[in-house]
Amino acid sequence: MIAALEIILRLAGWLVLAPLLPGIINKVKAWVAGRRGPPVLQLYFDLARLWRKSVVLSTLASPGFVAGPAIAWVAIAGAALLLPLGPAGAVVGFRGDVLLLIYLLALARFGTAWAALETGSAFEGMGSAREVSYAVLAEAALITAVLSLSVHSGSITLETMLTPAAGPGAVLLAGGLFTVLLAENCRVPFDDPNTHLELTMIHEAMILDHSGPPLAVILHGAAVKLLLFAVLLTEAVLPVGAMPPLAGTGALLAGVLAVTVGVGVVESLLARLAFRRVPLLLTTAFLLCLFALLVAWKGGPA
Amino acid sequence: MTAGPLLLIAAAGLAAGIVMGRAQPRLWLALTLVATTAGLLAAGTILLGAPAWEWRSGFDFAGEEFHLRLDGVSSFFLALLSLIGGLGAAYSHEYWTDERYPKSAGRGRMWWSALVLSMGMVLLSSNGLHFLIAWELFAVSSYFLITLDRQRRDVRAAGWLFFAASHFGTLCLFAFFAAIAAHHGTWELGPMRDDPATAWLFWLALAGFGLKAGLFPLHIWLPSAHANAPSHVSAILSGVSIKMGLYGLVRFSGWLPVPAAAGWVVLGLGAAGALLGIAFALGQNDYKRLLAYSSVENMGIIAIGLGAALVAAPPEDAGWARLALAGALLHAWNHGLFKSLLFFSAGSVLHATGTREMSRLGGLWRTMPWTAALFLLGAVAVCALPPLNGFVSEWLIYVGLFDAVTSHGSAAWAAMPAIIVLGMTGALALATFAKAGAIIFLGAPRTRRVAHAHESGPWMRGPMLVLAAGCVAVALAPLAFWPAVARAVGAWRPAWEASEPPAAFASLGPVQLTLALAGVTVAMALWERGRHRGVRRALTWDCGYALPSARMQYTSGSFGGLATGWFGWILQPERTLRRPRGLFPREALALQRVPETVLERVMTPVGGVILQVSAAARRLQHGRLQFYIFYVVVGLAALAALVLFGSMR
Repeated sequence: MIAALEIILRLAGWLVLAPLLPGIINKVKAWVAGRRGPPVLQLYFDLARLWRKSVVLSTLASPGFVAGPAIAWVAIAGAALLLPLGPAGAVVGFRGDVLLLIYLLALARFGTAWAALETGSAFEGMGSAREVSYAVLAEAALITAVLSLSVHSGSITLETMLTPAAGPGAVLLAGGLFTVLLAENCRVPFDDPNTHLELTMIHEAMILDHSGPPLAVILHGAAVKLLLFAVLLTEAVLPVGAMPPLAGTGALLAGVLAVTVGVGVVESLLARLAFRRVPLLLTTAFLLCLFALLVAWKGGPA
Repeated sequence: MTAGPLLLIAAAGLAAGIVMGRAQPRLWLALTLVATTAGLLAAGTILLGAPAWEWRSGFDFAGEEFHLRLDGVSSFFLALLSLIGGLGAAYSHEYWTDERYPKSAGRGRMWWSALVLSMGMVLLSSNGLHFLIAWELFAVSSYFLITLDRQRRDVRAAGWLFFAASHFGTLCLFAFFAAIAAHHGTWELGPMRDDPATAWLFWLALAGFGLKAGLFPLHIWLPSAHANAPSHVSAILSGVSIKMGLYGLVRFSGWLPVPAAAGWVVLGLGAAGALLGIAFALGQNDYKRLLAYSSVENMGIIAIGLGAALVAAPPEDAGWARLALAGALLHAWNHGLFKSLLFFSAGSVLHATGTREMSRLGGLWRTMPWTAALFLLGAVAVCALPPLNGFVSEWLIYVGLFDAVTSHGSAAWAAMPAIIVLGMTGALALATFAKAGAIIFLGAPRTRRVAHAHESGPWMRGPMLVLAAGCVAVALAPLAFWPAVARAVGAWRPAWEASEPPAAFASLGPVQLTLALAGVTVAMALWERGRHRGVRRALTWDCGYALPSARMQYTSGSFGGLATGWFGWILQPERTLRRPRGLFPREALALQRVPETVLERVMTPVGGVILQVSAAARRLQHGRLQFYIFYVVVGLAALAALVLFGSMR
């Protein structure tokens, strides 16, 4: 009973806090550019507005057009629930849960890509082709990062893997995971969430035809995914799980905030890469994670 | 009932099917279903704990006594064979009918029974000679099934390639069994682990069985054979036949000593096959070829698991090796389920539209909702995504490999690259099957014929539903299938008998169930919310373009182009481009094809050189008698010179 209650509370926490992050990023971008920018809570307003709107469906769309985003959202929320939260640990954890996390993110990708391809639009085809192709390299980097964490901690349970964090390879891992975060969440320099030129987009191109509640679900899922990666990155670098409760919680929040601000700063200072350069950057991320793995291997079990 | 009588029923049913199949389709179907059910039950009794079944005939056949044995390993594969054998027969009842194929339907039924019977004999034979006979019958019946539609040229070419490759494998197996028989003085097979002198024979077995299993780069025959065969035959070829190669590898790596490098080589071949197989699949425009390459990928994944189990040298009793082997075996079952499902759905599409070219299809979900939904289920399963069965077996392999890494032994150097390759393979599989499903079933129909496609009938849909149910069952209750897997693992290495499922394996089922329920609930809630707020149908937005046409959609080539470009060094895609020129351009053309590189760029040139040398040698043989006499004189002179100068030295 208490476990169920905790699961519900945590889920609520994830779902409610997530839309803050894009707001913070936008605030940072505005601040760097010397503008006032939209309010931090802008995404909440957008979501509420979209939730009340009616839906325009493409004449070609099958029920999968709506089911895809829903399943992607469930997958992301499920993946978030698997993550331990610093000193509070994880509510659902078992040996090998880290693989479930990775494959749930893949399921979310499948759901969005499928829904995008429902409409038969070339733009959406382009977007999902890019999404699933770049994911190949991002996935290699991510699984190498996981491997290095598990080598360092001698475990494949998220909770015990993340408690000692990455140790000596932390800097390398932070670089690699941050790049994966940018790629997986479609931020600059991989994708530009603000652009209005469909030819150059990835994520935004995939959701061109979505509207109303399904669009709200997609945007909210993307925000939760960003928060998930921010938490994962923080916990992989800082041993928040091993700290005393108050310090751990503070460190976790500070870490997530730092990652978010970092995304905003990167977005303000860099331009989007040409598409043919994207694989190079992702390969760099993979190599960073690979070196982190070698460092962890040399360092022996923690 | 024990296994013996059930197996007798199965054999009798199949034998009667061979005789009756030509003329009486209904009787044949009934016989096949009874026989395969009996086979399934027989396998089930052993897998659920009955002791291994053995039988000796007491009389000789081909100079040897019949010796049949059904133990954990063989019953594991027999269960898969019986299931797909029965379902494929039911599927063909509507798919390959006498009305549509008056010439080949009867032959097809006969050879189907022969194929299932001969594969059963391969699984049961415990005598090298009978194994070879059954193996040969299995290859021959596969050949006749692949070439059922032999009016078509590419079908004949595919059949010939299969036949040639298959016989190269058989040649290796002849050497393998003959060497065992020569060494032990008997054709009898059984556990013979104590004699390290026979370890090198593993390489012969790897060549022979690996060829049948489609291990990279021995897979050259597989894509064209599986793509050109009738779809129910493709299903049993991909679902079961290639598993016979795996059976051989599992069987004889369990019974015979293996060289120390065996595990590393199998694992390396598996990793290469998994990654390159799926890269080739992504490049295909023919959906059956795509599925065939995906089989190469999945056999690679299975080989990774088996290789990891072999890397753990016998004295070392590593828990992770059990997990990897259990994962590999379970993946063999899972692959049998979802790949047969996918080939059945592909057959359904082919039946309705008459084309295997993805870029001529599109929008089929409207006319073929069942096929579309079942293909989608199979696609999610083959991408190893939760909450379906592919994830369960890949999870086992992953956990085995991760445990190998965290144990910090030398095996970690094999496991770490394998894990990274598996991760990339998963992402590529996702791209491949998102492409296949979406281009075939989503969007607008690209040709008129496709717009008037029809859903397949109950005899084709039924087997697909059964397979889908099997996928869901393994996914949601993996623990129920553990005893069977553990039984096979125990038969492979007796020290591993009665292995407990890993504790986390138990939590996988409920987690997957919760996920599935949550997914369905949220999807329905979202649909309801949308309906509640009002739904308007409109044209696809397409950036405001008012007249989108079906030909403007993304195609299979454009979808896969990005990632196949990264694998261009091995895929070697061929492009033909004729751009529109001038003010009044006439015709333009863009063709793209990913060839079977190993076959066309390696095997064909090598074969060409051999043929050239042979042709040059044939010039000596021209039928002119005086020259032949001249050869004889020259030969004699050479011999004489040899004798003379040889004796002088």
